[in-house]
Amino acid sequence: MTDTMSRSSMSRSAKTDLAISLVLIAAAIALPFMVDSRYILGQIVLALFYATIASQWNLLFGFSGIFSLAQMAIFAFGGYATAMLCFYFGWNVWAALVPGALGAVLFSLVVGLACLRLTGVYVALLTLAIAQTMYLLIVTDTECFVMVGSVCRQFTGGAVGFARFGDLGTRALLRAQWLVGNYAIIAVLFAVTMVFTYAIVKSPIGLAFRALKDNPGYAVARGVNRFQAQLLVFGISAFFTGLAGGFYAAHFQAIGPGVLSMSQLMFIIAIVVVGGVGTFWGPLVGTVVLVLADELMRESGEFRTLGLGLIIALSVVLMPKGLVGRFGDLVHWLARRRANLAESRPADSKPAVSNIVQSPAPAGK
Amino acid sequence: MVDVLMAILVAGFTSGALYALATVGLSLVWGSMGMLNMAHAAMLTLGGYVAFTVITSLGLPIALGFAGAIIAGAVAGAILYFAIVRNLLKNDKSTFEANVMIATVGIGIALENAILLTYGGQPLKQPVSIVGTFRLGPLTLPWQNLMIIAVVVVMMVVVSLALGRTRMGRAIRATAQNRDAAQLMGVAVNRVYLQVLMLSGALAGICGVMVSSMTQLSPPLGNDPMLKAFIMCVVAGLGNLPGAVAAALGLALLESFVQYALGARWGFPSLLFVVIAVLIWRPSGLFGRAEIRRM
Repeated sequence: MTDTMSRSSMSRSAKTDLAISLVLIAAAIALPFMVDSRYILGQIVLALFYATIASQWNLLFGFSGIFSLAQMAIFAFGGYATAMLCFYFGWNVWAALVPGALGAVLFSLVVGLACLRLTGVYVALLTLAIAQTMYLLIVTDTECFVMVGSVCRQFTGGAVGFARFGDLGTRALLRAQWLVGNYAIIAVLFAVTMVFTYAIVKSPIGLAFRALKDNPGYAVARGVNRFQAQLLVFGISAFFTGLAGGFYAAHFQAIGPGVLSMSQLMFIIAIVVVGGVGTFWGPLVGTVVLVLADELMRESGEFRTLGLGLIIALSVVLMPKGLVGRFGDLVHWLARRRANLAESRPADSKPAVSNIVQSPAPAGK
Repeated sequence: MVDVLMAILVAGFTSGALYALATVGLSLVWGSMGMLNMAHAAMLTLGGYVAFTVITSLGLPIALGFAGAIIAGAVAGAILYFAIVRNLLKNDKSTFEANVMIATVGIGIALENAILLTYGGQPLKQPVSIVGTFRLGPLTLPWQNLMIIAVVVVMMVVVSLALGRTRMGRAIRATAQNRDAAQLMGVAVNRVYLQVLMLSGALAGICGVMVSSMTQLSPPLGNDPMLKAFIMCVVAGLGNLPGAVAAALGLALLESFVQYALGARWGFPSLLFVVIAVLIWRPSGLFGRAEIRRM
């Protein structure tokens, strides 16, 4: 009984997800025809990067319970690897994207080997320290590696980073409309990432990730290998994060240590927290809300960071399950109210029967 | 050679003392509440700036500057408790650890930015400093470093007396050992949490004054000591106070040796290598006891 009910409700949620994705795809296709402003389109591309990174952090933290703060480090690794392959070896950007992402996977596996035997905040602190070390080593790198013209160039790009190593080829192909081309590419990247994430979350291994998050002891007792499973999800999310990093470097034709800053990491975390930790659509909702809030606060300039910090703190306190969770509560509340109304109306004539008929409805939710 | 060695030792002990103060504040909160306070850095900064305001802008004596920093830190801790921690404790216990970390990150960013908006980003000079050096045989010791070490030692003694000899300290230790049992024995756990956060905030305030007296006042002042204090907490085992002090001194000495031998940029990475090595060997830290959890 409960089994069939849960399965039917699962298929219903799958239908909802499908409907949402179709609407989103239609909106994504319509968008470049509706938006004239280059600035807005540029911000939307940036928001798509945020959503991609946030969805992968959500896969780690929300679905698998790994509190990693190395997300931007992995993103930067992918971006740097792509940029360096192009810069030092003259590769085409498109050829360097996947190797860059695989480099990020390797990096994440090294980080994972060092961190994932630990749990909870120990993972958070160690990954934060690793990200910070990476930032410091890049920024303080002053040794000349090659000379570009008369300018000394450090191996890691130093505090400046890399620029002018190539682009996605849209400028040559579409001329003035290159931004629309980049938008299309990044939108596809985001869509592919979301499809893979969905497949992973719904697969048996996704169930193992969730079990490890919800009750590690029980999951391990049932034969889930915690270390292997968490290393796997770490690597998977690193691939898409690193790939996004490569596309980021290619879109902006530049990458520097700025992406490793604490505020970037906090923005990603804020997106997931506001949207809803452990919900599939949470990162997207969070991105829309926070990027809009960020744009609105840009008017008030200096209070932007202050506002962002308060938004993070308040949303953790007021809506621990994020906007998506709050929305779910609302839907439940409405459904229960409707059920109660339906229950109370026939209750006048035949109370006994209606009780039996109605009682499973709220229980199935 | 002896001069160089002494300079390294003095620098190491001074920064070790500062890290120990930051580490104890963090470790106290973690040990008794299972809460990682990411706003600790901003509380450090707050203490430094409050002392600056009291001494420079209001022209009051240095002692009142210290008092101001202590009070500001304690008040910040109390606000943190009433605004954030109390509300998060009502929710599911299993999500508390991560939620409180994220929420305090938000508070930390907001506080650091509020300081930036109030005082501006340009570095300011902390008036709490003593110039001059002190000669002991062949050694030259700056008074500044001696003052820092002395203040930290005094604070350590105060904290250990407060934890070891007072009713409040007994309640804090009981809560740290077993929250449920303490509550059943009549310890007002919520009040203990408030006290711990205020104590840790006061320590952060003092620590901020000391750190800024070594360098300069700037809004991101607390971030570097906090990150290192985190590493030291992890090496010692989160929640272990004497271990935290030992780890802080040991790692600070190591850091200053590495900075001398390999250059300043390798100081922090060397700490990271130590912490990773320690955690592979002992996953709950050098002095931490493995936690046994019942399902």
